[in-house]
Amino acid sequence: MNKVLLIISREYLSRVKKKSFIVMTFLTPLLIAGIYGLIGYFTYKGIKDTHDKVAVVSTNTTLTEKLATDENIEYQYVNKPLDVMKKSLSKSDYDYILYLPEFTLAEPKGVQLFGEKQAGMSLNNRISGDLEELIRNQKLKQSGISQTDLDQLKTSVDIDTKKIAIETGKEEASSAGASTIIAFIAGILMFMFIMLYGIQVMRGVIEEKTSRIIEVMISSVKPFQLMMGKIIGIALVGLTQFILWIVLTLTISTIAATVLIDKADVKKIAASSQNGSTVGASQEQIQAAQGPIGDIQKSLAGLDFGKIVTVFIFFFIGGYLFYSALYAAIGSAVDSETETQQFMMPVMMPLLLGYALSLSVVTNDPYGNVAFWLSMIPFTSPIAMVVRLPYGVPGWELALSMAILVVGFIFTVWVASRIYRVGILMYGKKTTFKEMFKWFTYKN
Amino acid sequence: MLSVKNIVKQYATHRALDNVSLELEKGKIFGLLGPNGAGKTSLIRIITQITAPDSGEVLFNGERLNSNHISQIGYLPEERGLYKKMEIGEQVLYLSKLKGLSTAEATKRIKFWFEKLGMQDWWSKKVEDLSKGMQQKVQFVATVLHQPELIILDEPFSGFDPVNADIIKNEILELNKQGATFIFSTHRMESVEELCDHIALIHKSKKILDGSVDEIKATYRNNTYWIEYEGDYKVESTENVFEVLQTENVKGKTLIKVKLHENRTANEVLAMLLPKVNIHRLDEVIPTMNDIFIKTVKGEGHE
Repeated sequence: MNKVLLIISREYLSRVKKKSFIVMTFLTPLLIAGIYGLIGYFTYKGIKDTHDKVAVVSTNTTLTEKLATDENIEYQYVNKPLDVMKKSLSKSDYDYILYLPEFTLAEPKGVQLFGEKQAGMSLNNRISGDLEELIRNQKLKQSGISQTDLDQLKTSVDIDTKKIAIETGKEEASSAGASTIIAFIAGILMFMFIMLYGIQVMRGVIEEKTSRIIEVMISSVKPFQLMMGKIIGIALVGLTQFILWIVLTLTISTIAATVLIDKADVKKIAASSQNGSTVGASQEQIQAAQGPIGDIQKSLAGLDFGKIVTVFIFFFIGGYLFYSALYAAIGSAVDSETETQQFMMPVMMPLLLGYALSLSVVTNDPYGNVAFWLSMIPFTSPIAMVVRLPYGVPGWELALSMAILVVGFIFTVWVASRIYRVGILMYGKKTTFKEMFKWFTYKN
Repeated sequence: MLSVKNIVKQYATHRALDNVSLELEKGKIFGLLGPNGAGKTSLIRIITQITAPDSGEVLFNGERLNSNHISQIGYLPEERGLYKKMEIGEQVLYLSKLKGLSTAEATKRIKFWFEKLGMQDWWSKKVEDLSKGMQQKVQFVATVLHQPELIILDEPFSGFDPVNADIIKNEILELNKQGATFIFSTHRMESVEELCDHIALIHKSKKILDGSVDEIKATYRNNTYWIEYEGDYKVESTENVFEVLQTENVKGKTLIKVKLHENRTANEVLAMLLPKVNIHRLDEVIPTMNDIFIKTVKGEGHE
């Protein structure tokens, strides 16, 4: 056991002391924070900068009120026929023409938007939202609610939404967005960690093999001790890096959030958009304006961050052990890194598949069958489970998945150690899967 | 101190060791000879417990080989290797701690050896900055540092320049004097003649020759002599004393190689020649290990 500790400490220290480790550890959180800062900044700037001028051609008589202009969109009602407007659009300073035909409030049909540019989704949503609100307000008035009541209603709805978001977290729309972002980050991180550190194990094994120190080593220690020492040592490097990243990223993004985003601007947008549009639209805009940083902060308040980190670390260790054992076996079977490709494929595929499915299917339907099975099969569970986690996972599923993963890595470590002990002493032969199976069955 | 008994090691398609037995006496230098691929490395790997035999057993001081013996064996593999990015001192320290030395003891001994071999200022150098010969020296130190009872050296002199080879040879002899037993595995015979007390020859997975160097040489003597003389007389084969195998004239002298018939002695030959020529020199042709090696291996090959 003492020898394993020696190996662990060498593997750990030799990596942590490397310049590349230190640079990576301190640079990555800066990069991540920087990227999110940029995304947030541009989203916010994009909203602030859009200004569309829309000519409204209305033959409609049912609508009593007009669409209201604000900073981002300007509605101008014109008294010209649609044909004339369409022809002169390129010469006019309008960006779009909105055509409101005659319709009933019950069935508002036939609204059209013309433009030389294809109108984007956000503009489309914005206009339809504005129209919907207009119609809704008119309907409410028809049923006897006064303008004063309407304004009051608006205020109270806004307050209500905020409450729900804080209290029930995952069930409310804006918090689901936060969960998705946390899920994405966790999924990507998990994938990266397993890949990066698994490959480090493989490289380490190849290094020992090509530098021929392996024979000296295994005349002192058992191959299994050497393999486990390496795997555990590198796992500790990964954990060190992960914990440093969390600490640094949180620190930096908190600073970035307070410094980079001008709170006053955000409030101004929120306030102005409330005047003329629906409560929902203004919510969306605030959220978009705050960007992912706002989401992260919101999720920190709404989600059990401690639990997520704990489970993440468990699944990182489990998933890493599961895969790194396979990587160690691959490393032992080849003479150089260029030969690893044929073996990498079958190991990479389930991980990639788990990654792709987790970030698409699982985030869309975190309680579905696909999500359930992906988070049970140990090849994909490390990624799938951390992706599901922010949406809430029943305790028994979590426990079962963890148990399966533990059994899974014990199995892969066992298989890998049997291949490893033979592989590390084989030189110059091109290894095949058949051969690896033969090694596996060797007695000793 | 080491008994190898009836070892069989079978790999998928070929048998690496076929019923090989050896006896090593304490304090001797044992040469394990054989052409490439004969099974030397397989045998060493069994003794160093890197692999296990399919059948047969190895006894170390009368005890069946087990993990307690790891610290009593030092092994320098043919394929030398060190961690490229690690500092020399740290590396040797690591390897000797794996053999069970404490940090303090290991540090003390490393300093002693580094000083002895003129490597004092190598401690914080990296392996990749050293020449191949220097790396070999480091590796030799790592092999003997934990003062093993049995030291196994696979091709110990390959990669050394003559000066360093000599230094290492003297260290080996000194360690041997202090009681360490050595196994040399090599296919280069000249180093064997000087150092080994005992040899075993392995060929095609089998042991085909085993004995002390003197004994083996004695059995391979075949009563052949070089005789150098001056004089106009031409020595001819005689029917019942000797046969001339070869005649050469060198700078006015004649050199002949004669093979004596059974039960004849060099004295008889001299008695016959002395009246006729002026004898300068008479040498017995003693086969070198190299000759024996080639002869045995070729002989085996024809079977």
